[in-house]
Amino acid sequence: MDKKRILIVDDEASFTRMVKLNLEKTGQFDVREENKGTYAVAAAREFKPDLILLDVIMPNMDGGDIFAQLQSDRNLKMTPVIFLTATVSQREAGVKGFNSGGALFLAKPVTLENLIACINQNVRKPEPEEA
Amino acid sequence: MSGRDDEALAIKTVHEGAQEYLVKGQVDSRLLVRSMRYAIERKRAEEALAKERDLLHTLLENLPDRIYFKDEQSRFLRISRAVMNQFKIDDPAYAIGKSDVDFFSPDHAQVALHDEQLVMRTGEPIIGKVERETLPDGTVTWALTSKLPMRDKTGRVVGNFGISRDITILKKIESKLAEDRNLLRSLIDNLPDYIYVKDTRYRYIIDNIAHRRFLGASTEEEVIGKTVGDFFPKEFVEQFSRDDQSIIEKGEILVNREELLVVAGKRRWHSTTKVPLRNNEGQVIGLVGISRDITERKEAEEKVRQANAELASSKEELEKVLADLRKSHEELKSAQFQLIQAEKMQSVGRLAAGVAHEVKNPLAILGMGIDYMTKNLVSQDGNVELILNDMNDALKRADSIILGLLDFSVPRALDLHSEDLSVIVEQSLALVKHELASYPITLVRELGTDLPPVYVDKHKIKQVLVNILTNAIHAMLSGGTLTVRTHSRKLGATEVDHDHGWRLADRFRVGETVVICETIDTGVGIPPEKLAKIFDPFFTTKPTGKGTGLGLTVTKKIVELHGGTIDIRNRSEGGVIVTLMFKV
Repeated sequence: MDKKRILIVDDEASFTRMVKLNLEKTGQFDVREENKGTYAVAAAREFKPDLILLDVIMPNMDGGDIFAQLQSDRNLKMTPVIFLTATVSQREAGVKGFNSGGALFLAKPVTLENLIACINQNVRKPEPEEA
Repeated sequence: MSGRDDEALAIKTVHEGAQEYLVKGQVDSRLLVRSMRYAIERKRAEEALAKERDLLHTLLENLPDRIYFKDEQSRFLRISRAVMNQFKIDDPAYAIGKSDVDFFSPDHAQVALHDEQLVMRTGEPIIGKVERETLPDGTVTWALTSKLPMRDKTGRVVGNFGISRDITILKKIESKLAEDRNLLRSLIDNLPDYIYVKDTRYRYIIDNIAHRRFLGASTEEEVIGKTVGDFFPKEFVEQFSRDDQSIIEKGEILVNREELLVVAGKRRWHSTTKVPLRNNEGQVIGLVGISRDITERKEAEEKVRQANAELASSKEELEKVLADLRKSHEELKSAQFQLIQAEKMQSVGRLAAGVAHEVKNPLAILGMGIDYMTKNLVSQDGNVELILNDMNDALKRADSIILGLLDFSVPRALDLHSEDLSVIVEQSLALVKHELASYPITLVRELGTDLPPVYVDKHKIKQVLVNILTNAIHAMLSGGTLTVRTHSRKLGATEVDHDHGWRLADRFRVGETVVICETIDTGVGIPPEKLAKIFDPFFTTKPTGKGTGLGLTVTKKIVELHGGTIDIRNRSEGGVIVTLMFKV
C-alpha cells in the first residue's frame, strides 16, 4: 500500500519535525514539512499531497490565505485540508475537530492518536489510474 | 346855734361838720324847722356821696383792671391802684397832671393819645381794643382797653376815662398757641403722609398738602366740607364709611391697616391709622386720619417674596439637580469602576488569548515529543515511563489552564434554549458524582419541580455549576453537607434596591420573576479579606496544582453573558452560599 503523502505547513519547525517523525514512524505516511506560508502552495503543487495539515496563524501568509489559494488551484482544490490551530480549544473543536468552510479544524495540542485518526478519516482516497 | 354873727366862724363850723350855723336871736321857728330839715337832707346826701366815694375808692383800690381818668389834654386826673402798680409808683398824686408819655414809650403814648382824642372828639367810645404797651424800660405788656368820653353835667366832653385789663399772659398763651398751631400746620403740610381731620358727619375739616395732592385737589377749599364720596369710587367709599362710622360712633381705633386703593387707575397701597378726635369733655367730635403710601415697600416686599419663592424653588431644584448629580456621579463611578474592570478583563482576556496561542504551539511540540518517546523509547530504566507519564499529566494540566484562559478571553456565542434549571443541576451533579463520592459529603437536593423555563446555554451553565459544585466539594474535604436548591420567585423592592453591592438593580427589576439556584456548603468558608478577589483571574485559595484560578472568573463571565447574577458569600453558621439568579 502506498504511503499517504502529507504536507504539513507550520512556521514552528520543531512542531513539523515532531509531526513528521511521529507520522513517518508509523510507516503509513510520507511527510513533507513547509515552514514558510508563502511557499506552501508551491510545495503542494510539487509534492501533490493526499492531505495538507495547515497552521492558521503564520507570519507573512496565514492559513486562511493559503487555503483560499489551494481552493482556486484546479489540481489542489480537492486536496483535504486539516487546520491545526492554537486559536480554538479542544472543547470547541472536539477531539475529532470540526468542519468549517470546507475544512477541518483540530485544536493544538493534539495527541498523535487523534491526529492519525483524523488524517485517516479525511485523507483523499487514491483515485483509480486513468487508462 | 351861736350867739356870734360871725361869717368866718360859720364857714369854719360847717367845714368841721356842722350842717348849719344859726345865730341866736336871728332864728324864728320857721327858719329853724327849715334849717333842721335841710340839715337832715344834706346829711343824707353827704352820706350817700360818701358811700359812692367809698365804692369808687374800693373799686379803684382793688380792681386788678387798670382804671384812669384823664382831662381834655389826656393828663391823668385819677388812677387806680393797678395803674400805680403798673407805673411802679406809691403815691397817686405823682401821676396826676402827667400823661402817657411820662410812663410809656413814645410810640405807645402817641397811639393812646390819638385814640383818646378821637374818643373825646367824636364822643364815641373805643371798646375792647387790644393794645401793645411798651414801658420805658422796654417791658412789653398787652392790654384789653376800653376808652370812653367823660362828660360834665351839661353833657360836654371834659375828658376821658378808661379801663384796661392786662392780658399779657393771655397774649403769651395765644402767641404760644399760634406758634404751636403754626408748627403743627408746618408739620402736617410738610409730611409726606396724608393727614386729615373729619367731623362727625365725615366731612373733611382739615387736611394737609400731601392728602390734597393725593385726592387730586389743589386747594384746601376743594377738600374742606367734602366727603370720601367726592373723591373715591363706590367700593372704597363703603369701606371707608364703615371704618369712619365705627371710629366716630364706637370710639374704635384703626392702626396701620394696609389697604389697596385704585385711584385714577393707579394701584396704591396705604397704611392707614385713624383715631377719634375728642373735645375737652372727651366727646368724639370727629376723627383724625393719617395714611402712608407704602406701595414701594409693598412692591419691594412682593419682589422679596417672589425672590424668596424663586430662591426656595431654585434651591429645591438645585438640591434636586445636586441629588441627581450625586446619583449620576455614583453611577458614573460605578460605571467607571465596571469599565475599568471590563477593560482590565479585556486586557487580561487579550493577554490570555495571546499567551494561550503562544503556549499551545510549544505544548503541541511537547505533546508530539512525548508521544514519540512513549512509542519509541525503549529503556531499562523503569522511571522513564513514569517520567513520561508525569510529563504527559503536566502537559494536560497546562493545556487545561490554557483552555480556561481561552474560555475567559474569547467571547463565545451562546447556544440558548429554553431549559429547566433543575434538570441542568441534576446533569451537573452527575458530572461531579465521582468527586463527590470521594469525600464524606452528604448531598441534599431541594430542586423545584415546576420552575419556569430559563433561556440558557445548558453546556455553559453546566460548566458553571460543575465549577461551583467542585469548589464546594473542595471546601469540605473532611466532610459536610452540600445542599443544592432551586426555586423561583418574584423580586421585591427591598432586595433590588438594597442588594449590598450585588448590583441586582442593573439586571433585574422589581416584580420580575427569577429562577434561583443556591448551593450551600458547610465547609471552611472564604477568608473575608479574600471575598472581594474571588472573581479575579488567577486568584485561588486552593493548593498549588488544585485550581487554575480561572474557575470563578469564567463562571462569572458565563453567568453575566446570560444576563444573570452570581453572589458568593460566607454563611454566618459556616460555609458558603452561592446564589445564581436568572431571568425567566
